[in-house]
Amino acid sequence: MAGIVISGVSRTFGTVRAVDNVDLEVEEGEFFTLLGPSGCGKTTLLRMIAGFCELDSGEIRFGEKRIDRLPAHTRDIGMVFQNYAVFPNLTVDGNVAYGLKARRLPAAEIGRKVADALALVRLDGYGERWPHQLSGGQLQRVAIARALAIHPQVLLFDEPLSNLDARLRVSMRGEIRDLQKALGITAIYVTHDQEEAMAVSDRIALMQNGKLEQVGAPADIYRHPTSRFAAEFMGTTNILQGGALRPEALRLAADAPAAWPRLAGTVERVEMLGPITRADIRLADGTMLRMATLDAPQLGLAAGDAVALAYDPARLTVLP
Amino acid sequence: MTLAIPHNQRLPLAIAALGFLFLGLFLLYPLFNVFGASLLDPDGERLTFANYVKVLGRPFYRGAIANTLGIGIAATVITTLLAVPLAFALARLPIPGKGALLALAATPLVLPSFVSAYAIVLLLGRSGIVTQWLQSWGIGFGSIYGGGGIVLVYVLTLYPYVLLPTLAAFKSVDVSMEEAAQGLGSSPGRTVRTVTLPIVLPAVLAGALLVFIETLENFGVPFVLAEDLPIFAVEAFKLFIGETAPNPASAGVLGVLLILTTTLVLLVQRRFLSKRRFATNARKTPPLLRIGTGLRIAATAYCWLIVLLALVPFFAIVVLSFMEFRGPVLHPNFSLANFGFLFDRALRPLGNTLLFASLAALLATLVGVPVGYVVTRWRNGVATVLDVVATLPFAVAGTVLAIGFVVSFNAGFLVLTGGPLILVLAYTVRKIPFAVRSASAIVHQIDPSLEEASISLGRSPLQTLLRIVVPLMLGGIVSGIVLTWVTVASELSATVVLYSGPWRTLTVVMFQSLEGGGAGIATAAASTLIVVTLVPIALLHRLVRRYELA
Ligand SMILES: Nc1ncnc2c1ncn2[C@@H]1O[C@H](COP(=O)(O)OP(=O)(O)O)[C@@H](O)[C@H]1O
Ligand SMILES: [Mg+2]
Repeated sequence: MAGIVISGVSRTFGTVRAVDNVDLEVEEGEFFTLLGPSGCGKTTLLRMIAGFCELDSGEIRFGEKRIDRLPAHTRDIGMVFQNYAVFPNLTVDGNVAYGLKARRLPAAEIGRKVADALALVRLDGYGERWPHQLSGGQLQRVAIARALAIHPQVLLFDEPLSNLDARLRVSMRGEIRDLQKALGITAIYVTHDQEEAMAVSDRIALMQNGKLEQVGAPADIYRHPTSRFAAEFMGTTNILQGGALRPEALRLAADAPAAWPRLAGTVERVEMLGPITRADIRLADGTMLRMATLDAPQLGLAAGDAVALAYDPARLTVLP
Repeated sequence: MTLAIPHNQRLPLAIAALGFLFLGLFLLYPLFNVFGASLLDPDGERLTFANYVKVLGRPFYRGAIANTLGIGIAATVITTLLAVPLAFALARLPIPGKGALLALAATPLVLPSFVSAYAIVLLLGRSGIVTQWLQSWGIGFGSIYGGGGIVLVYVLTLYPYVLLPTLAAFKSVDVSMEEAAQGLGSSPGRTVRTVTLPIVLPAVLAGALLVFIETLENFGVPFVLAEDLPIFAVEAFKLFIGETAPNPASAGVLGVLLILTTTLVLLVQRRFLSKRRFATNARKTPPLLRIGTGLRIAATAYCWLIVLLALVPFFAIVVLSFMEFRGPVLHPNFSLANFGFLFDRALRPLGNTLLFASLAALLATLVGVPVGYVVTRWRNGVATVLDVVATLPFAVAGTVLAIGFVVSFNAGFLVLTGGPLILVLAYTVRKIPFAVRSASAIVHQIDPSLEEASISLGRSPLQTLLRIVVPLMLGGIVSGIVLTWVTVASELSATVVLYSGPWRTLTVVMFQSLEGGGAGIATAAASTLIVVTLVPIALLHRLVRRYELA
């Protein structure tokens, strides 16, 4: 187990600066997420750590040890891929034992570790199965078991859930997080889904165009974005008086403390989503505000209504 | 700091280096020597263009060039005109016995074309069986010797080159495009012409150009059928055998011209394929068209006629090999004497054929699989050059490569002439393009993240190649070995230049008895070749079937 230190790392493909002078420190045992839109360089950075992509400059350390020049197969990393990458020519057992055999462990120990790893991902009894007999979710569990079985220094995940359906994604991300915490293995997780990132991470690095945009705890980035990009990428954002305001910081004036600043507008659209109701409200000057509020019995919003709003001034984040 | 090669480039680099070493020594070096021979004076001392002037100045050789190109173009056009409707019928029309038709239609690809040519001579030649039978009824027909007969054999043996890719293309046409056209008011006939045909055109052209190249390089068919008509590959062979000067200048000139022509065609083909990509992503194969009974009967007859006609010569040879020959004259009695003559004298040629084919198939796979892996996975300039060099043997006639081998390896640092290895190496080089292509096609289907998963789990790139990639390629590798094996077993054009003394193969026995008029032995050798070819293919089929059922 070790922390990861990334300093001054860059990589250019042709004219594209895929990773641009990135500095990062990931704490030992931390669940750290690289978040950003497609093409921002998350995978490239992850593959540099794994050893599948060379650095143009900079260095990467696990603890004290510099690893960016080591061959990938000596880095002691567990990696989980988007498309599972379960070996189709091996059984579930064969897949999970693969890395252990590479380490030349005694057969008895391999057997024990394989069973343990499969138990961790709740696939006990699936050892004899072939990959083509498993569902997508089960395949991804095999891939996770296979990565955990070798007790790597570092776990890397590249959008591991994006091929699963929505419900499974939500339950699997919780499991991944729980496993990582139980084992205490430093993990770097790549995703473009901010909700997923916020749900699992200790800290998030938001990336854009190969650069780090903002690094911090999920709540921290959500509440205090340091740029318009960060504000908008982390969730619906209203831009008001040069600041960012989240939809849930707006309320109907009637329910708001008297000290909150007031706004007047017209309801343009209402979406009732169950527990919350979302509304688009146009102010007199033409600005469109998005409001979100928990459902309540007396809540009666309808398109065309004139409404008075209020917002929490403490939650208006001033953007540079 | 040392100028270290990044660790994940080391394996591909090592493979590429070994590939270049092999191809450099056994392909580029011999070709270089052929070029050299064509540009040196007969004593091999001064550089000169005199050889080109001399050869091209003679009407005989200009005639050879014209004949070869003319026959090639005719064969290519006729093949295409026959094979495209056949492909369409097999892809889109309700034809009975489609499975059998497809299996039979692919067999001419592995059967030796000169055997077909020889059968045509035995049936329709001057003293052919059919000829004499017709003459007894007072019916005569034109000579099958010369251009006409050669074109006929080319069409019958090469049509699968157009059929198979075109069939695949017809099947991959996205039906929604046709539906869109018909929705816009186009009639079914017009839709086929304006929508479907343009989509399959690249596949048709690719196949047609392959046919053309095959006709340019072919030695056996014109050797059997051309008689006095000069043909490129045959004349190069005759010149080389006849040339007494230390430098095979004239043969070199013909060789170079042949290589340049085929390379040009190959380049045109690549151009076409890279520029015109209509590949549609059909999710399901298009449905069969509904046609009337009359049309259906006509289409069925057409398909079966072509497919069976192509196989008649091979069938005839097998039948004839069990009949009695006195000299060149056939007597219609059942007899095993031909095989007696063939094998009594020695089983050795058969043994040689089996041995060489096995060694060459293994060697071609050993070189082709890693090279195919590298050119697919490693997208950079080195890989592209390696790919081009590995494809080059396509453009080199067996005769020309063999001449290069003799010139290169009869003295100097590596002497191979007179031994068996020179044959094995020549076969290997000739089959490398096929081995690389088929390996590359399989590697394309293997997800690269499987390899990365293996590496991250602690296996080195080499171990990953052996433990993950090769097992996943195994089915394809085995079929590649079998196909290489059967085509090597009937290789003629390089063999006749390179064989020596005890290292004769079955094809040489056949070739020699053709020249000597020993028709009986020739038919026995030919049918043995057919068996040697078809048995492994049938076994492979069964293996594949069983594998798929399991
Ligand atoms: N092997 C490569 N060759 C060329 N360009 C690449 C390669 N890998 C990534 N890129 C480019 O680098 C940028 C970042 O890619 P990537 O790291 O895959 O982004 P992400 O994972 O965030 O979607 C993209 O513009 C991509 O096109
Ligand atoms: Mg990515």
